[in-house]
Amino acid sequence: MTATVELGLFVAIATTLLVSGAAVVAARNLVRAAFWLLPCFLSVAGLFVLLGAYFLAAIQVLIYVGAIMLLLLFVLMLTRDIAEPQAAAHNRQAGWAIVAAGLVAAVTVGVVSRYSWPLTLAQAPSDAGAIGEALLRTYLLPFEVASVLLLAAIIGAIVIARSEPT
Amino acid sequence: MITSHLQLEHYLVVAALLFAIGTYGVLARRNAVAVLMGVELMLNAANINFLAFWRYVDPGRLEGQVFVLIIITVAAAEAAVGLALVLNIYRTFGTAEVDRVNTLKG
Repeated sequence: MTATVELGLFVAIATTLLVSGAAVVAARNLVRAAFWLLPCFLSVAGLFVLLGAYFLAAIQVLIYVGAIMLLLLFVLMLTRDIAEPQAAAHNRQAGWAIVAAGLVAAVTVGVVSRYSWPLTLAQAPSDAGAIGEALLRTYLLPFEVASVLLLAAIIGAIVIARSEPT
Repeated sequence: MITSHLQLEHYLVVAALLFAIGTYGVLARRNAVAVLMGVELMLNAANINFLAFWRYVDPGRLEGQVFVLIIITVAAAEAAVGLALVLNIYRTFGTAEVDRVNTLKG
């Protein structure tokens, strides 16, 4: 893949990402906002592919698009009052929130474009086998902690979300 | 900074902008589920940063990818528990809007 094609792909994906991200936080109808998450998460997966992390791109599609977006839509459908279009979607701090977000963006972009990192030109190994090896050898402890966290989250979600015991 | 080559800074700038969009969503949204959407955008921005640094600074080691995997796991757990809380709040208060759940306000 030539550098120009790569750059063109990056610009297209990044534009999709930022436009759909802005639509997610700006849309008045929350179901539409949830559906705007779809191009957003997919273009993040596209960036992962451009970076050479193919396995994580697949995981991103499976978990974010497949699971988290579906969960968000489920809860939107279950809490009905959000479907009423009269209610304001943003609170009174919306103006200050724009200022705060602008400050975050300005400071981060400023720092990022000034600092120079120690870059390497080495080619990235992109195979899922190596990640599996690393997860079961070097990073076994964080892997196990993450699985315990998932178990606790499953039980906690069931306990919190069930209706009052009669 | 404008070159014909794709560079680390390009990814970092896009991730910073996505993070700022997520910040706005968290601060300005009234509905709790929409606040969670903002949090997910911020987590995605962090993941882009981790993978960009992995690719351009130290591609030989796998920390960047492992970090992203763990973050995705934690994000899934956070979404499950957070949405369960939203359901319970809706059942208790009859609304999922965070500025109308103000029982503790003096």
